[in-house]
Amino acid sequence: MRDGLQATALSVASMFSDGVGKLNRIHRLVPWLVVFVLLLPVPQLVTIGLSDYYVYLINKICIFILLTVGLNIVKGFCGQVTVGHVGLYAIGAVSSTLLSIHLGLSFWVSFPLGVLLAGLAGIVVGLPSVRLEGAYLALATLRLGESVRIMIAVTPFLGSSTGLMLIPSPEIMGFVFDSFQSYYYLVMTAALVGLYLSFSLLRSATGRAFMAIREDVIAAGVHGIDVPRHKLLAFVISALYAGAAGALFAHMPPGYIHHNNFIIIEMVTLLLMVVLGGIGHIWGGVIGAIVVTVIYDQTLEYYFCQPLMFGLSMVLLVMFMPQGIGGVIDRSISTRRFIALRQRREAAEGQDHGAA
Amino acid sequence: MALLETRQLSKNFGGLRAIADLDISVETGSIHGLIGPNGSGKSTFFNLVTGIYWAERGSTVIFGGRDITSLPSHRIGAMGIARTFQLLRLFQEMSVLENVMVGHHMHVPYGLFTTILNSGHVERRDAVIREEMMDLLSFIGLADYADMPASELSGGQRRLLSLGRAMAMKPRLLMLDEPAAGLSPVNVDRLLDIIMRLKDRYGLTILIVEHILKVVMETCSTVTVLDYGRKIGEGTPATVKDDPAVIEACLGQEMNDDEVRAMLHEGASSGR
Repeated sequence: MRDGLQATALSVASMFSDGVGKLNRIHRLVPWLVVFVLLLPVPQLVTIGLSDYYVYLINKICIFILLTVGLNIVKGFCGQVTVGHVGLYAIGAVSSTLLSIHLGLSFWVSFPLGVLLAGLAGIVVGLPSVRLEGAYLALATLRLGESVRIMIAVTPFLGSSTGLMLIPSPEIMGFVFDSFQSYYYLVMTAALVGLYLSFSLLRSATGRAFMAIREDVIAAGVHGIDVPRHKLLAFVISALYAGAAGALFAHMPPGYIHHNNFIIIEMVTLLLMVVLGGIGHIWGGVIGAIVVTVIYDQTLEYYFCQPLMFGLSMVLLVMFMPQGIGGVIDRSISTRRFIALRQRREAAEGQDHGAA
Repeated sequence: MALLETRQLSKNFGGLRAIADLDISVETGSIHGLIGPNGSGKSTFFNLVTGIYWAERGSTVIFGGRDITSLPSHRIGAMGIARTFQLLRLFQEMSVLENVMVGHHMHVPYGLFTTILNSGHVERRDAVIREEMMDLLSFIGLADYADMPASELSGGQRRLLSLGRAMAMKPRLLMLDEPAAGLSPVNVDRLLDIIMRLKDRYGLTILIVEHILKVVMETCSTVTVLDYGRKIGEGTPATVKDDPAVIEACLGQEMNDDEVRAMLHEGASSGR
């Protein structure tokens, strides 16, 4: 009888602790859910004062966030200079488009397949990283990225000069994401999920391994990190992000893609976003994507000097603020923390002396 | 019993024989010193053992009874060989704590899928690891600096951190490449004290390259002397110290002015 009671008590206790564990897990997601809910009415708020065009702009920002967060994994955290990202973006876009146009697949099937194909292409782009470093790796990935675009430009099946149009909009249970406003919910959710996943990844042992490779490849290897495997992993994960961004871009109304969407200037813009936001800061990509997209949009009138402007700001950034906005914020926080620590220690020492 | 053994270990850089048919055996539980003049192949030996360089064909490196000659360095690390670097090679932009956590990488108890799908689990496991690493940091006296970037530490602290990072691997063999270089005498003593305490606490075998003779003489049970990639002497510190071949290699042959002049002349005429 007493044994039975004890067993019951124990099982209740274990259920309780399981429950607490679950609560903990929910607790971690709460901030993300709050942000999600806060972001829900954004298109309505924007259209009160501004036009629908700005919703489209926000959608583009969300897609860029996916791209920069992915690029930050391979470039910011793993330290591999890649310029072929825009090619992976193109692969995601074109493959999802073709699958839905020619095979009539729904977005919910063509999207993951496009992402998967981009991930496989990421292995190809990542392979040179096992042997090459720095500028040489940049050159290799640049060629790979450009060759994807040129292939699209010369193959009628892939769109060539007319581009691919009438790409079907995603649809779920009768609800069609065919306006800027409705599509916003899709890309915003995707950007948040992408951010959340990159947080989980980069705050783990894998993230630390990536950073160790960025800081010192040889020391990373000696300390038990499989360097080629982690480099490839970084490339594949960032390729998955690029593929997702590409597929989302393709299906976004008006449902049209052209190889001009994937030119090298786009890549430079992407890099600028990452560098401005702060290389190696997860939020850096978000900051960069927002700032650069807004500046880009506001200076459209002066389109002829935009490349010059972006190129110059890149040079100036690298010279005067190489750690980016995220880096500046981070440093100020860590400096303040260190000063506080020192003050506390000095105070403690002062007390010791007083006692002596 | 030998924990680490090399047989016919060789390494050529172009025409230069950096290491030539080197047989070294490091006894389990010993502190083995490796000395020799600059360019005698000490660091090359370290790089060969830890898989940073490929050894020439015919070389064999055996660790704990297993052939590790052609393994990549992360596998060698996983087998229980940790090392420090002469130039430290710290992860500069990472915090002190993160540096040692990277050292602990191969003991991390979760995989990639858990990482992506269950970050709560990862967080809890990381909290345990963090605690363990903080323990290690307080053992080497860097706990206060845990959140600072490694680049902001002082020279002595950096040396300690590279030692701590290696210890986080929980190695059986610890290879130290000039651990005391650039330290003041007081700090050398402190470092030696920490190394000896670590050895006792974890039952380590230590292989040490050092120029500071005091370190070698006081700590090592066996010393191997290298010159031009060959072993020119081996034994207890006391016997090695009096070996004429060793004195010649390390300090240079005693010679008079005429001999020096003759040598200079020879060098000039042969066009070097």
